[in-house]
Amino acid sequence: MTRFGWLKSWEFMLLVALVVELAVLGMINPAFLNVQNLLFSTSDFVHVIIAAVGLTLIIMTGGIDISGVSLMGLASIILGLSFVAGAPIWLAVAVALGVGLLAGAFNGTVVANTDVNPLVITLALLFFYSGLATGLPTLLDMLGFKAYNAGGFEAYQYEGINGLPKSFTWFGTGRLGWVPMPLVVTIVLTLIAGWLLKHTRFGRFLQLIGVNPEAARYTGVPVKRTLITVYAINGFAAAVAGLVLTAYFTSARSDLGSEALLNIITAVVLGGSSIYGGEGSVLGTFLAGLVLGFLRQGLLSLGITSDVVPVIVGGLLIGTVAARIGMSALQRKRANRAAYETERGAMAAIGE
Amino acid sequence: MAQASKQGHRASDPLVALRGIWKVFESVTVLRGIDFDIRPGEVHALLGGNGSGKSTIVKIISGAYQPTAGLIEVEGKAQILARPSQAHAHGIYMVPQEPHIFPNLSVLENLTTGLDGDSSTIRQHAREIAAEIGLKVDFNAHGGTLSIANQQLVEIARGLMRNAKVLILDEPTSSLTHHEVESLATQIRALTGRGIGILFISHRLDEVLDISDCVSVLRDGQFVLVAPTEGLTTEILVEAMLPEDFDASAEREAAGTMPDDTSLVLEVRNLSSQSFHDVSFSVRAGEVVGISGVVGSGRTELAEAIYGIDKSATGEVVINGKAAPQRSPRICQEMRLSYVPEDRHAHGIFLSLPCAQTISSSVMALSGAHFMSPAQENKLAQQFIQQLRIKLSSPMQEARTLSGGNQQKIVLAKTLAPEPRVIILDEPTRGIDARARQDVYRIIRELTAAGVGVVVISSEVSEIAEVSDRVLIMHRGRLSEMPEGQIDVDHIAAATLAETDEVSK
Amino acid sequence: MSRILKSREFLVLLLLVVMILAVSNVNSAVLRPMTLINIVNSSLFLMLIAMGQMFVILTRGIDVSVGAIAGLSAVIFGFALNAGIPLPVAMLAALLTGMAGGMVNAIGVVFVGIPPIIMTLGTLGVFRGLMRVLTGGSWIESIPHNIKSLSVTRIFNIPMMVWGVSALVIIVAILMWKIRWTRNFYAVGDNLDGAYLLGINTRKTRFVAYVLAGLFSGMAAIVFVGQIGFVPMQTGDGQELKAIAAVVLGGVSLMGGTGTVWSAVIGALFLTTVDSMMIFLRIPGSWNDAVAGAVLLIVVVLDYLIRRMARNRLLAARSSEMLHGEDGTKAQTLEQTEQRQ
Repeated sequence: MTRFGWLKSWEFMLLVALVVELAVLGMINPAFLNVQNLLFSTSDFVHVIIAAVGLTLIIMTGGIDISGVSLMGLASIILGLSFVAGAPIWLAVAVALGVGLLAGAFNGTVVANTDVNPLVITLALLFFYSGLATGLPTLLDMLGFKAYNAGGFEAYQYEGINGLPKSFTWFGTGRLGWVPMPLVVTIVLTLIAGWLLKHTRFGRFLQLIGVNPEAARYTGVPVKRTLITVYAINGFAAAVAGLVLTAYFTSARSDLGSEALLNIITAVVLGGSSIYGGEGSVLGTFLAGLVLGFLRQGLLSLGITSDVVPVIVGGLLIGTVAARIGMSALQRKRANRAAYETERGAMAAIGE
Repeated sequence: MAQASKQGHRASDPLVALRGIWKVFESVTVLRGIDFDIRPGEVHALLGGNGSGKSTIVKIISGAYQPTAGLIEVEGKAQILARPSQAHAHGIYMVPQEPHIFPNLSVLENLTTGLDGDSSTIRQHAREIAAEIGLKVDFNAHGGTLSIANQQLVEIARGLMRNAKVLILDEPTSSLTHHEVESLATQIRALTGRGIGILFISHRLDEVLDISDCVSVLRDGQFVLVAPTEGLTTEILVEAMLPEDFDASAEREAAGTMPDDTSLVLEVRNLSSQSFHDVSFSVRAGEVVGISGVVGSGRTELAEAIYGIDKSATGEVVINGKAAPQRSPRICQEMRLSYVPEDRHAHGIFLSLPCAQTISSSVMALSGAHFMSPAQENKLAQQFIQQLRIKLSSPMQEARTLSGGNQQKIVLAKTLAPEPRVIILDEPTRGIDARARQDVYRIIRELTAAGVGVVVISSEVSEIAEVSDRVLIMHRGRLSEMPEGQIDVDHIAAATLAETDEVSK
Repeated sequence: MSRILKSREFLVLLLLVVMILAVSNVNSAVLRPMTLINIVNSSLFLMLIAMGQMFVILTRGIDVSVGAIAGLSAVIFGFALNAGIPLPVAMLAALLTGMAGGMVNAIGVVFVGIPPIIMTLGTLGVFRGLMRVLTGGSWIESIPHNIKSLSVTRIFNIPMMVWGVSALVIIVAILMWKIRWTRNFYAVGDNLDGAYLLGINTRKTRFVAYVLAGLFSGMAAIVFVGQIGFVPMQTGDGQELKAIAAVVLGGVSLMGGTGTVWSAVIGALFLTTVDSMMIFLRIPGSWNDAVAGAVLLIVVVLDYLIRRMARNRLLAARSSEMLHGEDGTKAQTLEQTEQRQ
């Protein structure tokens, strides 16, 4: 790597893309570039980044977990129900995060111990967790639990649970200096995940498994344990995303985040991760999440309907992957050609 | 044998001719400007060690690969075979080593899938051709129920249904019984009698001498021998296939320098699993134990059971004096036993990672190890790059861009990094060139000089003879030791081939 | 016959019958013909997109955009009807929209080489967005009433739609059986390289699979609009995942090469029946997804365990033959099971 090698990195290109995007949107609509508003608008979409950061670690291993979008809602409703049932808010948070962690670990256990495609497993669990989230209030009623302030839980099936304490909602609506809390949480998680991936044995194991799971096993990498751990981390991240969103909306709902799947996967792929595993960057995911999020905010500020956003996001996803495929094919062709010319030249030299 | 009648075709023009073909994969040159002919009514045998480029030639002729440079002529005209279906259109069909049978489709569907035209005509044609080549099976049975021999006949029938003038048979006899091989030979004679040209690939030299009209031997992407079969002997073929610098007198050079410490580094007692039975042997520090055996004899399964990949084996394994009842790759490496797997790409190397990361992976996988900083990683890699003479531009170079030999050295470096006292090498020189092979042998000598116990598993007799102090023969899951005076190519080959013949019967 | 009895389709069908009978113990209303007909009627939409999905999964692909294609087709269908275009032409427009959507996926997956999950996830967004842009986000209502006659008209007390889709299923089953070319889907999914070397046009085969998925989504859109008489924005939402669940449940392996049109039919019936049974058991509908998810997980994990057991048995048989020196004929069956996976 040369001194300026990082200039060619995907992360740097994303950073450039982000700056260009903000500049263009700002030129069209100068009001958009109000730093305070810009920062605050991140709260609308950072849950996508948090979930995508967790998913990046899984995609590193060549796996996938689409059940995270359901875990967001599950964590949210569990927090709300625990709170309504009378638990102190810190305990409710702990329970919600714990459920996310355990659910993720369960996903990982099934993935690690069967040869069933992770997409199918987590598809089944996506349904299961989202069903659990919507069904939980009635289950509590059936089991005879009593809500703290009378009445059954059933009311919370489709209604949000409001009245969460300030100490909790501060994480969604408060700010640290100029930076809103959701963004702070996101940055902290991104830093932790990035550190895990780049500077720990665990991160290296993820990469080894993603490049060649069999070779990783022959090398002595604890493949199953690593997989279970990484799926658990993803479940935890999804739960955090759900809680951040809950705090931001100051209302716990079972269907929070259910629309986010496309955005999450796009952020991961646009961030430079290969769906085949072994290649990925948490920082890339974070930046790609910002690019996508500000794009949406920018379009809205221009008065363009949000309906166009999925069209653009989908197009970006396809375009990014297509461009990368094309580039690598071209590179390989060139390298082979060069190798042929060298060998042929060498042989001709011997022949003479 | 109808040798004389086939001689009549020799003068005829080739059906398929390769002219100056080059092929480069992932920056690795596999074929270096080869010329090759297949003539009507002739069986042309193609010989060569693993990785010599045989399968690449086959894939180029059958349209699966495109040459990097060079021409393919079909009946005198230059053609581009961009897809297998184009090769079929020119009358070229390949019967692959492992027949492509679709297990969920019926036998009849297996025969007719991929052909256009009127269904009933095609089905009728399929039945006729099946009868012609002696394929007698229930046409409505699932493809998955066919025996290997019948699967091969299905493939040949597929070729004939496409009116093939050239049939490529890629190791057709490797998994056939003796009787099935004979009936295949009869089929081949019948086909050449109809003027079909056959490209025949086999490891079994006696078959090649028996069936072919003409032999080409490939080594490192170039032909080293092209001659009519008449006048050739097994000895000539073996010599042509041996590495250029193979010197029988230097074979046992290593044996003289046994180190002082000769304690047992590996003891295997009464080890049994599904694939082998009651295996016992031991390895001393500084000694090379060769295990010779054919594919499927249980040798790789034995290594994987010792290394803890297969956990179902019963029996005792003692590594460096300590019993190891529970084994996993990690535990074994911690007890300082390492393993270089047979299939380098599937089990050994991380192709898309920088070499330094592959080399450090084994050390990092040990329990209680620490993450290595890029600087530490680089230092470790540099150490092995020098020690094993690995050719690369930087430790950050991806393994996929290296030659087979250098890739194997990267795997060796990874395996040696945790400093094993006993190491099992499974087919350590498969698919690598002659110079890299000598490097691997040198590395083995250096290891034994340093007091490491080495087990070399190989199906190449010359390799076993060259490196081993003691030789064990693996046959049908049972292990036996060669007497000390018989550790040379001829005796080991005789033992191994004799045993192979027995399997065929 | 025994092959049918051992098939996954049959297992799930059996499970379906057992479930209905078990629920009838609690609430005998389940066994009324009207109930059963209603279940079938409400499974039609899922059944159709699952059938399309089946073709793609047979070739070892996946299409998560089928729900969105159905939604887009429904919008075009609704617009056409509201513009006074005759019903047959409007239907054709819906089907063509579906095929066009499938073709976009096919180009990305087959010719550009984008992984199917990425490509179709991207088009899921694109098609769903287009649908909203076209309608401005509002429902298409006031569709001429004659459209509902498609679903209201009954023959022998069974809705026209059910007859129509049943006929379609049978036609597809016969075509899959009679047309040799359809074996290419299996061959490609089973062993892509093998099919290619055999001269099968693997690109064309995969291309057609995606276009068929789109076509069936178009049909699903017609059924949907016919049944409810308007086009809500949620048309097809989340149905792509249900369609995958249905075919996998019915025995189509995501590894390609196995499954039949009956897999899609029975899988879709099963998932719809689960929903209905909840009502009869007076379990709140909010539990539907949880039960469907649990069933899918249990079935695929059980399937894995059964496969592993069969494999181990074969391994043991082969080894004992090798060790005891019998003829190697049975040894080949192992390789076949490996191929099958």
